[in-house]
Amino acid sequence: MESIVAEKAPSASNPQNKLSLPASAGIHLFFILYSLFCIIPVILIIMVSISDESTVVREGYQFFPSKFDMGAYEFLFKDARQIIRSYGISIFVTVFGTLSSLIIMALYAYPISRSDFPHAKPFTFFVFFTMLFGGGLVPWYLVYVQMLELKDNIMALILPLVISAFFVLIMRTFFITTIPSAVLESAKIDGAGELTIFMRIVLPLSLPVLATVALFQTLTYWNDWFLSLVFITKDANITVQYLMYKTMLNIQFLANNSTAAAAIQAAGGTFRFPSETVRMAMVIIGVGPIIFAYPFFQKYFVKGLTVGAVKG
Amino acid sequence: MTKKSRGKWVSLLLLSMITVLSVSACSGNSGSGKETAATNKPEQSAATGGEATEAPDELKPHKLTLVYPGTPQTDEAVVEEALNKLLTAKINATIDLMPIDWGAWDDKVNLMIAGRDVIDIYFTAQWNGHANNVSKGAFIPLNDLIDQYGQGIKETLDPAFLEGAKINGKNYGVPTNKELASAGGIVYRKDVTDELGIDMSAVKEPKDLDAVYAVVKEKRPDLVPLYTNGAVFNAHYFGNYDFLGDSTIPGALLKDENGTTVAPVEDSARYQDYLKLARDFYVKGYINADAATTQVAPQDAWNAGKVFSTIEPMKPGKDAEIASAAGIPGKTAQIIMTSKTVATSETAGSMLGISSTSTNPERAMMLINLLHTDKEINNLLNFGIEGVHYTKNGEIISPTGKTADYSPGSAWMFGSQFLNYVWDTEAPDKWEQFKAFNEGAISSPALGFVFDSEPVKSEVGALANVIRQFQKAVETGSVEPEQGLKEYRQALKDAGIDKVIAEKQKQFDDFLASK
Amino acid sequence: MDILYGKFQKSVFRKYWMFYLMMLPGIAILVVNNYIPMFGILIAFKNINYTDGILGSPWTGLRNFEYLFKTKDAWIITRNTLLYNGSFIVLNLIVPLAFALMLNEMRSRFLAKLHQTIMFLPYFLSMVVVSYLAFAFMSDEHGFLNTTLLPMLGLDEVKWYFTKEVWPYVLPLVNTWKWVGYYTVIYMAAIIGIDEEYYEAATIDGASKWKQMTRITIPLITPVIVIMTLLQIGRIFNADFGLFFQVPRESGVLFPVTNVIDTYVYRTFLTVGDIGLSSAAGLLQSVVGFTLVFLSNWIVRRINKDNALF
Repeated sequence: MESIVAEKAPSASNPQNKLSLPASAGIHLFFILYSLFCIIPVILIIMVSISDESTVVREGYQFFPSKFDMGAYEFLFKDARQIIRSYGISIFVTVFGTLSSLIIMALYAYPISRSDFPHAKPFTFFVFFTMLFGGGLVPWYLVYVQMLELKDNIMALILPLVISAFFVLIMRTFFITTIPSAVLESAKIDGAGELTIFMRIVLPLSLPVLATVALFQTLTYWNDWFLSLVFITKDANITVQYLMYKTMLNIQFLANNSTAAAAIQAAGGTFRFPSETVRMAMVIIGVGPIIFAYPFFQKYFVKGLTVGAVKG
Repeated sequence: MTKKSRGKWVSLLLLSMITVLSVSACSGNSGSGKETAATNKPEQSAATGGEATEAPDELKPHKLTLVYPGTPQTDEAVVEEALNKLLTAKINATIDLMPIDWGAWDDKVNLMIAGRDVIDIYFTAQWNGHANNVSKGAFIPLNDLIDQYGQGIKETLDPAFLEGAKINGKNYGVPTNKELASAGGIVYRKDVTDELGIDMSAVKEPKDLDAVYAVVKEKRPDLVPLYTNGAVFNAHYFGNYDFLGDSTIPGALLKDENGTTVAPVEDSARYQDYLKLARDFYVKGYINADAATTQVAPQDAWNAGKVFSTIEPMKPGKDAEIASAAGIPGKTAQIIMTSKTVATSETAGSMLGISSTSTNPERAMMLINLLHTDKEINNLLNFGIEGVHYTKNGEIISPTGKTADYSPGSAWMFGSQFLNYVWDTEAPDKWEQFKAFNEGAISSPALGFVFDSEPVKSEVGALANVIRQFQKAVETGSVEPEQGLKEYRQALKDAGIDKVIAEKQKQFDDFLASK
Repeated sequence: MDILYGKFQKSVFRKYWMFYLMMLPGIAILVVNNYIPMFGILIAFKNINYTDGILGSPWTGLRNFEYLFKTKDAWIITRNTLLYNGSFIVLNLIVPLAFALMLNEMRSRFLAKLHQTIMFLPYFLSMVVVSYLAFAFMSDEHGFLNTTLLPMLGLDEVKWYFTKEVWPYVLPLVNTWKWVGYYTVIYMAAIIGIDEEYYEAATIDGASKWKQMTRITIPLITPVIVIMTLLQIGRIFNADFGLFFQVPRESGVLFPVTNVIDTYVYRTFLTVGDIGLSSAAGLLQSVVGFTLVFLSNWIVRRINKDNALF
C-alpha cells in the first residue's frame, strides 16, 4: 500500500526520534486489540447472514453457527432486477452527485479564500450559518416538491447533498494555506483572468483536498437513504441503501409502535418480515461495495486533509 | 471582522432574506389550496369544473392516485394496466397505485400531507392520526359526495360504520366494510393441548389459563406458554377499554358497561385485577422474561415455533391466519374471552379518505364506491390477475407460482372485504362467519366520538413519554405491580393526566348532549 | 443578483465579477436548500392548518414550546442531552487524538494504515444495525456477555436492558466506537501535516517524546481541534436520535437515563402528530447551539485570535 503517508512520516523517519521498545510494543498490542473490537461485530454480521435461520432463532447470534446456509442471499437475489436497478441508481447518484458537488463547492470556496476579495467574510458566514440553523423538514420538503417539483425525480437525490458547509470551509482553508499568493500575482500580471487562474493554477495545486472531499462525498451519497425515503414513491428510483434499509425500517416501525401494530392486526393486516439472516445479508449488500472500495481510496484521504484541515 | 465588513454581511443577509421571502410567499400561496394545485396541472384543471352534474359517459379522463401502506409489488404495473381497462370503461379514469412501506409511512405521509402533494385518495385510520389530520384540513368532508356518488356504499355498508367514523358530525373517510365487532382472546397450539391431554373447553376467562400453562411449562419446556411483546390482558381490545380515539392518550370508558365517565384505566378494578394476574403468570415463568423489551413480534415468535399461545384481537379465523403464516396449518385454535363490542376504533380502524388536494374528488368517490360494490375491480386490486397470480374455483382461490409477484395483503384497506375471494387455506364460509360475528355486539356509548387532543397537546406529549416508560414493564408483569403501578400513576399525575381526562370528559359530554 | 448589485460599490463588482459568477451555483443551492426553508421556523409559532398554508394558519405564540418545559421530564431530558453530548465531545476529542498520536508513532506505516482502516468500519453501520449488534452482546438469553463472558469471569448475569446504572457507560462506549475512526482520520491528517523540521529541531535540543507532543504537536493542530469541537458544541442540544432510540430498544425502565430531547419530541409527535411541536423543539435546539457556538468562539478569540473559527 503505497501512499503519501509513507513518504512523509515526520517522527518515524528520524531514527533518533523513536519510541522505546516496550512503549512501541504496547501501542501495537493496544491497536491489535482495538481493531479486533471493531472488526468482530462486522464479522458477526457476515456470519449471521450465512447461518441457518432456525439455528439463529434458537441459539442467538453466533460467531460459529452450527449450521451454515446461503439461503438469505439466494432469497435476496431471487429478485435481482430490483437490486441491479437500485445499484444503477446508487452508482449514478454517487458519481454524478460527487462530481457536481466537487465543482460547485470548489467554485464557491475559492473566492472566499482570497484575502483581497472584500466580500470573502460575509460569504464565508453565509455558508457557515447553514451548519447552525435549519428550517425543519416540512418547509424543506415544500421547497423541493412545490417550488422545484422534484418529487420522484432523481435530482432530488442529488441536489440536497451538493453543498456541505464543512467541506467548503475545509477547501477554503486549503486554498488559503497552500496556494502561494505570489503565484497568483504573477499570473495576474501575465494577464490571466480569474477563471483561468482558478482552472490552470489553483485546481492542479489542490488535487489532495479535492480527492479527499470527493471521497467523503462519495461515502455520503452512497450511504444516503433518507432522501429516497422522503422524495421517491416509485421503487424504480430508489437507491440500494434505501432498498435494504426500508425493511429494517418496517421492522422498527412495528416493533416500536405496538399501538399501531395492534391496530393494524385488529384491522386485518398481517406482517411477514424477512428472517434475521436476510436482514444481515441486506446490511452486507447495502454497505458491502463501499466497505471493500474504501481501503483502496482511503490512502488519498490523509494527504488531502493534511493540508486542508489546518485552519487559516 | 471589521466593523465595515460586518455591516456588509448584515445587509447581504437581509437582502438574501428578502429575496427568499418574496419567493416563499409565492410558494406559500401555491401551496395553499386546491385551486392553485389545479393550475399546476393544467391538463387536470379542465376536469374540475362542472363535473358534479356530468353523467359517467361524459366524464373527462382522469388519473386517480391511491396512497396506502404496503410493500410495493413486482407486478404492480401489470395490475394497474388491467385496472385501467376496467376503470376507463366504468368511470373513464385510470389509477396510479402508490404503496408506501410501513417503515416510511408516517414520515412520508405526514410530509405529503403537509407538503400539499396532489393526491386523490389516502388510506387513513383512527389509530393513524385521522382526527389530527382532519383538524389540520388534510381531508375533505365526504357526506355530500357519498350521497351523490356513493350509493353503493350506503346500500352495502352497515350504517354503524359511517355513524361511528364521524368527526363533528361529518365523515372524512369511508370505512372498509369488514368485521365490525371486536373482542379479545387467545390463539393456542391445539396439537400441543391434544398431545398433553388438556381440556380447553373449560377455559373461559384469563384465570382459567393458569392450570393449562402450568402443564405446558412442565411438559413442553421448549415453548413459551404465553408470548407477548407488550400488552397482555390489559390490551385495550382485551380489557374493552374505549380510549375515545387514540389509545395512547389516557382516559377511557369501559365500553361493555355503558359507562359515560372518563377515567384513567389504571384506576379501574378490572385493570388492577388483570395486572395481578399478568404478574402472577410472569413470576411463574409463563410469560417470556423479555416481554417488556423484545422486538420479536408475536407472529415472528410463532414462525420460529417457540410459542404455545398469544393474546390476540379476535375475529373468525384468526387462528387459521396465524397458523398459515407460521407454516403450521390446522395446528391452532382460538378462544374468545371477552364480550364483543363496537367502538370507534373498529368503525374508523381502516378508511379511505379524499385529500383536500384532490383535483377531482367526485371521481375519487366513484372509485371508492366501485371498491365497495364491484367484485371484479375489488379482487383485481387485492389479488391480481386471475390465471396469473391465482387460480379460481368458485369463490375459492389458490396460489400459483406467480402469487408472490402480486400479493399486497391489503384487502382490509379497500372497499368491502365481503367481496373478497377466499384462499383455499381459509374457511370457505369465512364471510358468513364474519357476518355472524358482527351480530349481537355491544356498542360503546362513545361510538362515533373522537377526542381532539389539540387543547391539551402539551400534556398529551408529556404523557406519551410517561406511558412508553412504564406501560410495557407494568402490564407485562415484568415489575412488581403494587410499587410499579404506584410510580406509574404518580408519573401520569405529574404529566398532567387530570387535565387531559377533564378535557376528554368535557368533549364527550358535549358529544352526548348533541346526540 | 441584480438586487445585490446596487448595494455594492461598482468598482468592486467590476473587478470581481467573475467571483460572483463562480459562487452563483453555490449561492443558488444554499438559498434553495437552506435559506428558504428557514422561514419554516414560523411553524413553531403557528397552529398549522394545511389548507390555509403556513402563512395563513393562526398564530399561537409560545404554546408549541410549552410541552418542552411543562413536566419534570423537561429537566431529565435536558440533563441527559447535555451530559451525554458533553461526554461525547470530550471523548471524541481525547480518544481520537490519543489514537492519532499513537498511530503516528508506529514505525510500520502499513500497520498504521491497516488499523486506521479497520477503525473506520463502524462508521459505515447504521444505528439500526448497531442496535442489533449491541443486542447480540447484551441480550438476556443469547447475549454474548451473559452466555460467555460473564460466566468466564465468574460474574453474575446482568439484565442489561433493565439495569439503568450501566447505560451512562454503554451509550458513550457505543458512540465512541462508531465515531472514533472518523475523527482519528481527521486528527491524524492534521498531525501528519506538521512540518518535519519542528521535530528535527526538537530532537537536537533533546526534547522527550512527551515534550514534543505537548509543545509541538498539540499546539500546532489546535485550529483543527477548535473547529471540530465548535461544530459539536453547535449541536449540543441535538441528540443522536438513532443512538438513543434504537440502541436501548425502547426499554421504558431505562428512560430516566436514555430519554433525550430528540426521542422525547419524537414520541410526542407520534401521539400528537403536530409539526408545530417538532418545529418548536428544533428551533430551540438551533438557537441554543447557535448561541453556544458564538459564546465559545468569543472565548477562543479572547485566548488566541488565530485559533478562532471566525
